[in-house]
Amino acid sequence: MQPWHQQLPIYQQLADQLAARLLDGELTEGEPMPSVRNLASRYLLNPLTVSRALQALDEDGLLEHRRGLGLYVRPGARDRLRQAARQRFLADEWPALRARLQRLGISEHDLDWTL
Amino acid sequence: MQALIEAQGLNLHYGRKQALDDLSFAVQPGRVVGLLGHNGAGKTTLMKALVGLHAAQGRLSVLGRDPFHDRVALLEDLAYIPDVAILPRWATVSQLITLMSGLHPKFSADRARALIRRTSVGLGDPVKNLSKGMVVQVHLALVAAIDARLMVLDEPTLGLDVLSRKAFYEMLIDEWCDGQRSVLISTHQVEEIETLLSDVLMLNEGRLVLSLSLEDIDRRFVALGHDPAAADAMAAAHPLLRYRVQGGSAALFDGAPPPEVAALGQRLRPSLVDLFVALTRRPEINRTQEG
Repeated sequence: MQPWHQQLPIYQQLADQLAARLLDGELTEGEPMPSVRNLASRYLLNPLTVSRALQALDEDGLLEHRRGLGLYVRPGARDRLRQAARQRFLADEWPALRARLQRLGISEHDLDWTL
Repeated sequence: MQALIEAQGLNLHYGRKQALDDLSFAVQPGRVVGLLGHNGAGKTTLMKALVGLHAAQGRLSVLGRDPFHDRVALLEDLAYIPDVAILPRWATVSQLITLMSGLHPKFSADRARALIRRTSVGLGDPVKNLSKGMVVQVHLALVAAIDARLMVLDEPTLGLDVLSRKAFYEMLIDEWCDGQRSVLISTHQVEEIETLLSDVLMLNEGRLVLSLSLEDIDRRFVALGHDPAAADAMAAAHPLLRYRVQGGSAALFDGAPPPEVAALGQRLRPSLVDLFVALTRRPEINRTQEG
Protein backbone atom coordinates (compact mmCIF):
# COMPACT_ATOMS: atom_id res chain seq x y z
CA MET A 1 0.00 0.00 0.00
CA GLN A 2 1.89 3.16 1.12
CA PRO A 3 5.61 2.56 0.63
CA TRP A 4 7.47 3.51 3.80
CA HIS A 5 11.20 3.02 3.81
CA GLN A 6 13.22 1.49 6.63
CA GLN A 7 15.70 4.32 7.17
CA LEU A 8 13.45 6.41 9.44
CA PRO A 9 10.57 5.81 11.83
CA ILE A 10 7.20 6.05 10.05
CA TYR A 11 6.00 9.00 12.11
CA GLN A 12 9.10 10.92 10.98
CA GLN A 13 8.41 10.03 7.34
CA LEU A 14 4.81 11.20 7.68
CA ALA A 15 5.96 14.46 9.34
CA ASP A 16 8.35 14.99 6.38
CA GLN A 17 5.56 14.36 3.88
CA LEU A 18 3.22 16.78 5.64
CA ALA A 19 6.01 19.38 5.76
CA ALA A 20 6.50 18.92 2.00
CA ARG A 21 2.75 19.42 1.43
CA LEU A 22 2.99 22.57 3.51
CA LEU A 23 5.91 23.86 1.46
CA ASP A 24 3.97 23.11 -1.74
CA GLY A 25 1.11 25.20 -0.42
CA GLU A 26 -1.21 22.22 -0.34
CA LEU A 27 -1.74 22.84 3.36
CA THR A 28 -2.35 26.55 3.88
CA GLU A 29 -1.23 28.78 6.73
CA GLY A 30 -4.03 29.75 9.08
CA GLU A 31 -6.13 26.79 7.91
CA PRO A 32 -6.95 23.74 10.03
CA MET A 33 -4.72 20.68 9.72
CA PRO A 34 -6.48 17.50 8.58
CA SER A 35 -7.68 15.51 11.59
CA VAL A 36 -5.77 12.56 13.03
CA ARG A 37 -8.45 10.17 11.81
CA ASN A 38 -8.51 11.70 8.36
CA LEU A 39 -4.74 11.33 8.01
CA ALA A 40 -4.76 7.86 9.56
CA SER A 41 -7.27 6.50 7.07
CA ARG A 42 -5.72 8.33 4.13
CA TYR A 43 -2.22 6.99 4.82
CA LEU A 44 -3.46 3.74 6.43
CA LEU A 45 -1.56 4.40 9.64
CA ASN A 46 -2.32 3.81 13.27
CA PRO A 47 -3.76 7.03 14.79
CA LEU A 48 -0.99 7.00 17.43
CA THR A 49 1.62 7.22 14.65
CA VAL A 50 -0.23 10.17 13.13
CA SER A 51 -0.40 11.92 16.51
CA ARG A 52 3.34 11.52 16.91
CA ALA A 53 3.93 13.04 13.47
CA LEU A 54 1.72 16.04 14.29
CA GLN A 55 3.51 16.40 17.60
CA ALA A 56 6.85 16.51 15.75
CA LEU A 57 5.55 19.26 13.44
CA ASP A 58 4.21 21.12 16.46
CA GLU A 59 7.60 20.91 18.17
CA ASP A 60 9.16 22.44 15.04
CA GLY A 61 6.85 25.43 15.55
CA LEU A 62 4.77 24.75 12.43
CA LEU A 63 1.37 24.26 14.09
CA GLU A 64 -0.75 26.03 16.66
CA HIS A 65 -3.53 24.82 18.94
CA ARG A 66 -6.76 26.78 18.82
CA ARG A 67 -8.89 26.14 21.84
CA GLY A 68 -11.86 23.93 21.02
CA LEU A 69 -10.94 23.88 17.33
CA GLY A 70 -7.81 21.75 17.16
CA LEU A 71 -4.57 22.12 15.24
CA TYR A 72 -3.98 24.84 12.66
CA VAL A 73 -1.08 25.58 10.36
CA ARG A 74 0.75 28.44 12.07
CA PRO A 75 1.16 31.65 10.06
CA GLY A 76 4.78 31.87 8.95
CA ALA A 77 5.16 28.08 8.91
CA ARG A 78 6.14 27.97 5.23
CA ASP A 79 8.81 30.57 5.73
CA ARG A 80 10.14 28.67 8.70
CA LEU A 81 10.27 25.45 6.70
CA ARG A 82 11.96 27.12 3.77
CA GLN A 83 14.55 28.70 6.08
CA ALA A 84 15.30 25.31 7.62
CA ALA A 85 15.56 23.68 4.18
CA ARG A 86 17.86 26.47 2.97
CA GLN A 87 20.10 26.06 5.97
CA ARG A 88 20.25 22.30 5.47
CA PHE A 89 21.16 22.79 1.82
CA LEU A 90 23.86 25.38 2.49
CA ALA A 91 25.39 23.50 5.43
CA ASP A 92 25.18 19.87 4.23
CA GLU A 93 24.25 19.46 0.58
CA TRP A 94 26.14 22.35 -0.98
CA PRO A 95 29.66 21.41 0.26
CA ALA A 96 29.17 17.88 -1.13
CA LEU A 97 27.81 19.22 -4.41
CA ARG A 98 30.63 21.76 -4.72
CA ALA A 99 33.22 19.06 -4.17
CA ARG A 100 31.58 16.91 -6.86
CA LEU A 101 31.49 19.82 -9.36
CA GLN A 102 35.15 20.48 -8.68
CA ARG A 103 36.06 16.83 -9.20
CA LEU A 104 34.21 16.79 -12.51
CA GLY A 105 35.70 20.12 -13.58
CA ILE A 106 32.31 21.75 -14.03
CA SER A 107 32.27 25.54 -13.73
CA GLU A 108 29.26 27.81 -13.38
CA HIS A 109 29.37 28.52 -17.15
CA ASP A 110 28.77 24.83 -17.91
CA LEU A 111 25.51 24.84 -16.01
CA ASP A 112 22.13 25.71 -17.46
CA TRP A 113 20.62 28.38 -15.20
CA THR A 114 17.42 28.97 -17.18
CA LEU A 115 14.24 28.04 -15.30
CA MET B 1 -8.05 2.14 32.43
CA GLN B 2 -9.26 -1.43 32.62
CA ALA B 3 -8.01 -3.86 30.01
CA LEU B 4 -10.61 -5.07 27.50
CA ILE B 5 -9.03 -8.52 27.32
CA GLU B 6 -7.00 -10.20 30.04
CA ALA B 7 -5.62 -13.70 29.60
CA GLN B 8 -3.53 -15.56 32.20
CA GLY B 9 -2.10 -19.02 31.54
CA LEU B 10 -4.58 -19.83 28.79
CA ASN B 11 -4.48 -23.45 27.55
CA LEU B 12 -6.62 -25.29 25.04
CA HIS B 13 -6.35 -28.86 23.77
CA TYR B 14 -7.87 -30.57 20.76
CA GLY B 15 -7.55 -34.16 21.93
CA ARG B 16 -3.83 -34.58 22.51
CA LYS B 17 -2.84 -31.60 20.42
CA GLN B 18 -2.15 -28.48 22.41
CA ALA B 19 -3.73 -25.66 20.35
CA LEU B 20 -3.03 -22.86 22.84
CA ASP B 21 -0.06 -23.19 25.15
CA ASP B 22 0.03 -21.05 28.29
CA LEU B 23 -0.88 -17.67 26.78
CA SER B 24 -0.81 -14.52 28.90
CA PHE B 25 -1.54 -11.09 27.48
CA ALA B 26 -3.78 -8.03 27.82
CA VAL B 27 -5.47 -5.72 25.33
CA GLN B 28 -6.03 -2.13 26.50
CA PRO B 29 -8.70 0.29 25.21
CA GLY B 30 -7.95 2.29 22.06
CA ARG B 31 -5.57 -0.23 20.51
CA VAL B 32 -5.27 -1.91 17.12
CA VAL B 33 -3.85 -5.34 17.84
CA GLY B 34 -2.52 -7.65 15.16
CA LEU B 35 -2.73 -11.37 15.88
CA LEU B 36 -0.05 -12.82 13.65
CA GLY B 37 0.85 -16.41 12.93
CA HIS B 38 1.22 -18.97 10.17
CA ASN B 39 -1.73 -21.14 9.21
CA GLY B 40 -2.41 -23.52 12.10
CA ALA B 41 -0.60 -21.39 14.67
CA GLY B 42 -3.75 -21.04 16.79
CA LYS B 43 -5.13 -17.66 15.68
CA THR B 44 -8.68 -18.80 14.99
CA THR B 45 -8.71 -21.01 18.10
CA LEU B 46 -7.69 -18.05 20.26
CA MET B 47 -10.32 -15.80 18.70
CA LYS B 48 -13.00 -18.43 19.25
CA ALA B 49 -11.95 -18.70 22.90
CA LEU B 50 -12.18 -14.89 23.20
CA VAL B 51 -15.77 -14.84 21.94
CA GLY B 52 -16.81 -17.88 23.99
CA LEU B 53 -17.00 -20.47 21.22
CA HIS B 54 -14.29 -22.61 22.83
CA ALA B 55 -13.78 -23.35 26.51
CA ALA B 56 -10.17 -22.74 27.54
CA GLN B 57 -8.36 -23.51 30.78
CA GLY B 58 -6.75 -20.68 32.66
CA ARG B 59 -8.03 -17.20 33.40
CA LEU B 60 -9.74 -15.27 30.62
CA SER B 61 -11.70 -12.06 30.95
CA VAL B 62 -13.15 -10.24 27.93
CA LEU B 63 -14.89 -6.91 28.69
CA GLY B 64 -14.95 -8.02 32.31
CA ARG B 65 -16.74 -11.30 31.53
CA ASP B 66 -15.92 -14.97 31.26
CA PRO B 67 -16.57 -15.51 27.56
CA PHE B 68 -17.55 -19.18 27.68
CA HIS B 69 -20.01 -18.92 30.57
CA ASP B 70 -21.30 -15.45 29.84
CA ARG B 71 -21.35 -15.59 26.08
CA VAL B 72 -24.78 -14.09 25.35
CA ALA B 73 -24.13 -10.99 27.47
CA LEU B 74 -20.62 -10.65 26.07
CA LEU B 75 -21.77 -10.70 22.46
CA GLU B 76 -23.89 -7.59 23.13
CA ASP B 77 -20.71 -5.59 23.66
CA LEU B 78 -18.60 -7.23 21.02
CA ALA B 79 -18.42 -7.08 17.22
CA TYR B 80 -17.08 -10.25 15.65
CA ILE B 81 -16.46 -11.39 12.09
CA PRO B 82 -15.36 -15.05 12.03
CA ASP B 83 -13.08 -16.37 9.31
CA VAL B 84 -15.93 -18.37 7.79
CA ALA B 85 -18.38 -15.45 7.83
CA ILE B 86 -21.00 -15.41 5.13
CA LEU B 87 -24.00 -13.19 4.50
CA PRO B 88 -27.20 -14.78 3.15
CA ARG B 89 -27.06 -14.47 -0.65
CA TRP B 90 -30.81 -13.99 -1.11
CA ALA B 91 -31.04 -10.94 1.21
CA THR B 92 -30.69 -7.29 0.22
CA VAL B 93 -28.44 -5.00 2.27
CA SER B 94 -31.53 -3.26 3.58
CA GLN B 95 -33.03 -6.56 4.73
CA LEU B 96 -29.79 -7.43 6.52
CA ILE B 97 -29.99 -4.13 8.42
CA THR B 98 -33.58 -4.94 9.45
CA LEU B 99 -32.47 -8.43 10.50
CA MET B 100 -29.59 -7.07 12.60
CA SER B 101 -31.92 -4.54 14.27
CA GLY B 102 -34.05 -7.44 15.47
CA LEU B 103 -31.10 -9.58 16.55
CA HIS B 104 -28.76 -7.18 18.27
CA PRO B 105 -29.88 -4.77 21.02
CA LYS B 106 -26.94 -2.39 20.48
CA PHE B 107 -27.16 -2.27 16.68
CA SER B 108 -27.95 1.10 15.10
CA ALA B 109 -29.71 0.85 11.74
CA ASP B 110 -29.07 4.55 11.05
CA ARG B 111 -25.38 4.12 11.60
CA ALA B 112 -25.28 1.02 9.42
CA ARG B 113 -27.00 2.93 6.59
CA ALA B 114 -24.51 5.80 6.99
CA LEU B 115 -21.61 3.35 6.80
CA ILE B 116 -23.05 1.65 3.71
CA ARG B 117 -23.31 5.06 2.03
CA ARG B 118 -19.50 5.33 2.28
CA THR B 119 -19.23 2.37 -0.07
CA SER B 120 -20.35 1.81 -3.63
CA VAL B 121 -22.97 -0.65 -2.40
CA GLY B 122 -26.66 0.31 -2.63
CA LEU B 123 -29.14 -0.47 0.15
CA GLY B 124 -31.37 -2.30 -2.30
CA ASP B 125 -28.57 -4.49 -3.70
CA PRO B 126 -28.95 -8.22 -3.10
CA VAL B 127 -25.87 -9.85 -1.57
CA LYS B 128 -25.64 -12.28 -4.48
CA ASN B 129 -24.91 -9.38 -6.88
CA LEU B 130 -22.01 -8.01 -4.81
CA SER B 131 -18.31 -8.67 -5.37
CA LYS B 132 -16.32 -10.37 -2.64
CA GLY B 133 -14.77 -7.06 -1.61
CA MET B 134 -18.20 -5.42 -1.36
CA VAL B 135 -19.58 -8.26 0.77
CA VAL B 136 -16.75 -7.81 3.26
CA GLN B 137 -17.39 -4.04 3.33
CA VAL B 138 -21.08 -4.65 4.04
CA HIS B 139 -20.12 -7.09 6.78
CA LEU B 140 -17.79 -4.53 8.38
CA ALA B 141 -20.50 -1.85 8.14
CA LEU B 142 -22.94 -4.18 9.91
CA VAL B 143 -20.65 -5.02 12.83
CA ALA B 144 -19.24 -1.47 13.10
CA ALA B 145 -22.83 -0.27 13.61
CA ILE B 146 -22.90 -2.17 16.90
CA ASP B 147 -22.19 0.10 19.86
CA ALA B 148 -19.40 -2.11 21.17
CA ARG B 149 -15.97 -1.63 22.71
CA LEU B 150 -14.17 -4.50 21.06
CA MET B 151 -14.10 -5.83 17.51
CA VAL B 152 -12.64 -9.21 16.64
CA LEU B 153 -11.79 -9.82 12.98
CA ASP B 154 -10.53 -13.21 11.84
CA GLU B 155 -8.65 -12.87 8.52
CA PRO B 156 -11.08 -10.20 7.30
CA THR B 157 -9.40 -9.40 3.99
CA LEU B 158 -8.44 -12.90 2.86
CA GLY B 159 -8.93 -13.26 -0.89
CA LEU B 160 -9.65 -9.57 -1.52
CA ASP B 161 -7.81 -7.49 -4.11
CA VAL B 162 -5.62 -4.59 -3.02
CA LEU B 163 -8.23 -1.86 -3.55
CA SER B 164 -10.85 -3.74 -1.55
CA ARG B 165 -8.36 -4.33 1.25
CA LYS B 166 -7.50 -0.63 1.29
CA ALA B 167 -11.18 0.36 1.38
CA PHE B 168 -11.77 -2.10 4.21
CA TYR B 169 -8.99 -0.72 6.39
CA GLU B 170 -9.93 2.88 5.59
CA MET B 171 -13.42 2.24 6.90
CA LEU B 172 -12.06 0.45 9.94
CA ILE B 173 -9.80 3.35 10.94
CA ASP B 174 -12.30 6.03 10.07
CA GLU B 175 -15.38 4.51 11.61
CA TRP B 176 -14.15 2.32 14.43
CA CYS B 177 -10.86 3.51 15.88
CA ASP B 178 -11.86 6.39 18.14
CA GLY B 179 -9.17 6.03 20.78
CA GLN B 180 -11.47 4.06 23.13
CA ARG B 181 -12.60 1.06 21.13
CA SER B 182 -10.10 -1.64 20.30
CA VAL B 183 -9.86 -4.11 17.46
CA LEU B 184 -8.09 -7.44 17.28
CA ILE B 185 -7.24 -8.49 13.71
CA SER B 186 -5.77 -11.83 12.77
CA THR B 187 -3.82 -12.24 9.57
CA HIS B 188 -0.80 -13.91 8.09
CA GLN B 189 -0.35 -11.06 5.62
CA VAL B 190 1.83 -9.19 8.07
CA GLU B 191 3.20 -6.46 5.82
CA GLU B 192 -0.35 -5.43 4.91
CA ILE B 193 -1.34 -4.18 8.31
CA GLU B 194 1.97 -3.41 9.98
CA THR B 195 1.48 0.35 9.91
CA LEU B 196 -2.10 0.11 11.22
CA LEU B 197 -1.16 -1.70 14.39
CA SER B 198 -0.40 -0.35 17.83
CA ASP B 199 0.35 -3.80 19.27
CA VAL B 200 1.32 -7.26 18.11
CA LEU B 201 0.53 -10.73 19.38
CA MET B 202 2.63 -13.31 17.56
CA LEU B 203 1.64 -16.96 17.77
CA ASN B 204 3.78 -19.91 16.77
CA GLU B 205 2.49 -23.46 17.23
CA GLY B 206 0.08 -22.34 19.93
CA ARG B 207 2.67 -20.37 21.89
CA LEU B 208 2.90 -16.62 22.21
CA VAL B 209 6.36 -15.67 20.96
CA LEU B 210 5.80 -11.92 21.15
CA SER B 211 3.29 -9.62 22.83
CA LEU B 212 4.47 -6.05 22.53
CA SER B 213 3.51 -2.57 21.37
CA LEU B 214 5.04 -1.35 18.11
CA GLU B 215 6.73 1.41 20.05
CA ASP B 216 8.44 -1.12 22.31
CA ILE B 217 9.37 -3.26 19.31
CA ASP B 218 11.21 -0.26 17.86
CA ARG B 219 13.00 0.20 21.16
CA ARG B 220 13.88 -3.43 21.82
CA PHE B 221 14.84 -4.79 18.40
CA VAL B 222 17.69 -3.30 16.44
CA ALA B 223 18.09 -3.81 12.70
CA LEU B 224 21.42 -2.88 11.14
CA GLY B 225 21.92 -2.41 7.42
CA HIS B 226 25.49 -3.15 6.43
CA ASP B 227 28.00 -3.70 3.59
CA PRO B 228 29.01 -7.22 2.51
CA ALA B 229 32.40 -6.56 4.14
CA ALA B 230 30.77 -6.39 7.58
CA ALA B 231 28.82 -9.66 7.13
CA ASP B 232 31.20 -11.84 9.16
CA ALA B 233 31.30 -9.43 12.10
CA MET B 234 27.49 -9.25 12.06
CA ALA B 235 27.13 -13.02 12.00
CA ALA B 236 29.61 -13.37 14.89
CA ALA B 237 27.40 -11.15 17.05
CA HIS B 238 24.55 -13.74 16.83
CA PRO B 239 21.71 -11.81 15.28
CA LEU B 240 18.16 -13.25 15.35
CA LEU B 241 18.01 -13.04 11.59
CA ARG B 242 20.05 -11.94 8.60
CA TYR B 243 18.21 -10.79 5.50
CA ARG B 244 18.54 -8.79 2.29
CA VAL B 245 17.44 -5.19 2.08
CA GLN B 246 17.54 -2.76 -0.81
CA GLY B 247 21.20 -2.09 -1.53
CA GLY B 248 22.74 -4.68 0.79
CA SER B 249 22.22 -6.87 3.82
CA ALA B 250 20.76 -6.39 7.26
CA ALA B 251 20.96 -8.13 10.62
CA LEU B 252 18.25 -8.11 13.24
CA PHE B 253 19.18 -8.14 16.93
CA ASP B 254 17.09 -8.65 20.04
CA GLY B 255 18.49 -5.85 22.17
CA ALA B 256 21.45 -3.64 21.38
CA PRO B 257 24.34 -5.38 19.61
CA PRO B 258 27.88 -4.75 20.91
CA PRO B 259 28.95 -1.14 20.09
CA GLU B 260 31.79 -2.25 17.79
CA VAL B 261 29.25 -4.20 15.72
CA ALA B 262 26.69 -1.39 15.80
CA ALA B 263 29.33 0.96 14.41
CA LEU B 264 29.61 -1.24 11.28
CA GLY B 265 26.00 -0.76 10.26
CA GLN B 266 23.28 1.79 9.77
CA ARG B 267 20.28 1.49 12.05
CA LEU B 268 17.06 0.55 10.24
CA ARG B 269 13.45 0.37 11.35
CA PRO B 270 12.89 -3.33 12.15
CA SER B 271 10.04 -4.52 9.96
CA LEU B 272 7.37 -6.73 11.43
CA VAL B 273 7.75 -9.22 8.61
CA ASP B 274 11.42 -9.77 9.39
CA LEU B 275 10.65 -10.08 13.06
CA PHE B 276 7.85 -12.51 12.28
CA VAL B 277 10.19 -14.67 10.20
CA ALA B 278 12.86 -14.54 12.90
CA LEU B 279 10.53 -15.51 15.73
CA THR B 280 8.40 -18.14 14.00
CA ARG B 281 10.84 -20.10 11.89
CA ARG B 282 13.43 -20.85 14.51
CA PRO B 283 11.75 -22.01 17.70
CA GLU B 284 15.07 -22.96 19.35
CA ILE B 285 15.98 -19.27 19.46
CA ASN B 286 12.67 -18.33 21.07
CA ARG B 287 13.31 -20.74 23.91
CA THR B 288 16.80 -19.50 24.72
CA GLN B 289 15.46 -15.92 24.67
CA GLU B 290 12.87 -16.67 27.27
CA GLY B 291 15.20 -18.67 29.48
